[in-house]
Amino acid sequence: MEMPVRQVSRRLHEEHEATLALWSRVEASLAAGKIDAALMRSAAVSLAAEIERHFAFEEKELFPRLAAAGEGDIAELLAEEHVAIRAAGERFIALAKADPADQRLKPLGLELAERLVSHVQKEEMSLLPALDDLLDEGADHELASAYAAL
Amino acid sequence: MFSNVSRSRLLPMSLPFRFFGAATGFQIAAWALLLAHSKEVLSFEAGLGPVFASLHLLTLGVLAMVAIGATLQLLPVATRQPVRALWAVKLAWWLLVPGVAAFTAAAASYRPDLMGPGAMAVTLALAVYAVLLFLNLRNARGMRVVVMHGWAALACLVALAATGIALVARYEHGLALDHAAFRSAHVALAAYGFMGLLAVGLSQFLLPMLALAPPPPPRTAMATLSAAAVAIVLASFGLTDVASLLGLAAAAIHVYSMERSLKARLRSPLGSSFLLVRVSWACLLASLALAALGFPGGTLLFGLVLVPGWLLTFLLGVMQRILPFLASVHASTAARGMPLISAMTPARLLGVHAALHVTAVVLLMVSTLTNLPWLVRAGAAAGLAAAAAFALFYGYVLAKVRTYGNACPPSQPAPA
Repeated sequence: MEMPVRQVSRRLHEEHEATLALWSRVEASLAAGKIDAALMRSAAVSLAAEIERHFAFEEKELFPRLAAAGEGDIAELLAEEHVAIRAAGERFIALAKADPADQRLKPLGLELAERLVSHVQKEEMSLLPALDDLLDEGADHELASAYAAL
Repeated sequence: MFSNVSRSRLLPMSLPFRFFGAATGFQIAAWALLLAHSKEVLSFEAGLGPVFASLHLLTLGVLAMVAIGATLQLLPVATRQPVRALWAVKLAWWLLVPGVAAFTAAAASYRPDLMGPGAMAVTLALAVYAVLLFLNLRNARGMRVVVMHGWAALACLVALAATGIALVARYEHGLALDHAAFRSAHVALAAYGFMGLLAVGLSQFLLPMLALAPPPPPRTAMATLSAAAVAIVLASFGLTDVASLLGLAAAAIHVYSMERSLKARLRSPLGSSFLLVRVSWACLLASLALAALGFPGGTLLFGLVLVPGWLLTFLLGVMQRILPFLASVHASTAARGMPLISAMTPARLLGVHAALHVTAVVLLMVSTLTNLPWLVRAGAAAGLAAAAAFALFYGYVLAKVRTYGNACPPSQPAPA
């Protein structure tokens, strides 16, 4: 994946890399038949933060800009993926909080790993390069500051 | 030149999938024709007939068909430019499909007088595609490596069409030209130029994206492209020895840089698609080594390593991954949500397809070395079975789009 140019794209890119690294570990652990309670708890905490902050920022600030630039169907597609990830994520977070060794975490964790990886791939291919084109320095700085303040 | 610009870089599903569907059908036709005329394979040199027709069903009907469908969907992602005219994409399909059918049917029945209209339709289809490619690359932003490979492939496509028309004119009107020289240039421009450079260029972002790996260093990719471009020019002018050595060096660097990139991937399971990609890389290197060594085993062995070995195997490997990926994107709706790619991926069927295809390629290569006709039949039969398995996969993906994949969560990780 190419390193984006804009500050806000770079920040999102770094978070994507962290998400991929974490959920690749979750996926490998679950595929090996293990339910690593500490890893499940860590994944749940990270996912909750991602949904709260990363997703909300994209939906409020970035997808409308993408749609206004003529990429409405890509913005819509990414928003639909957020809905699916939220739905599975909320169940995962609730289960991991109640019992991080619950066997039902395996199918949910594998589903989330696949959805998150696929979502990151699409954002890296479409959203971040588009932001690099759409934002000027001023708008980029403003958005990066707003994101940091969340 | 074209109006009615697509608003988004995401094409409607019917556009790329019509090219993939036609290619699926032509692949079955190519292997079936080869099986029906397997006795003629070992004595094939270059003339018209069923083997020539089978070869062009693969090169035009499968390779060029998928190249057009896939690049029109994937290049806009890399270039950040939408396709300029959706009607032109449909026109290219409507010219290419009957054109390939007419051209190969005439060639298979030894009727050079009937090849002209088919060749003309194919040329027009490629011309429409060339204009679309030109317009997309002209305003490209980002992914300079992919864009530069696109320009080089476009230049090769223009030269390829010119040599192809000259060869058809020789068959049809007896045009006086150095047939062997034009044929060699045509092969180099088609296999290593147009198709090869598109494959190598798109690999630079597509394979790392699928495997969650860092892309190869741009400097390495640009150096490889420069060496490959010089090699293709030299090969087009008949300097095969130098061209193949230079091409071999470029291909070796490309494969090494891709393997280094894949080694750093975040996802461990790569699946049968990457097995096919790796087999194709081995065939790419082997084809150039054979050319550098003066074609030991004959030009038939070289052709088998080059077309079904390198290009078709690579394309099938990539198709195993991008069909479910694109289908999941198009199956998504606000009401139903996004289906899982794993629900669109019949892993066992794809494993069987990969095994049958590799078996077909190996059997055909061995048949040319041993001169055993039954091995040709066995290879063609395995190829036909692989093409049928691929058609089942294509049908499976379409059916899943209609039924929205599978609501069940996965029990195993999806391959990269």
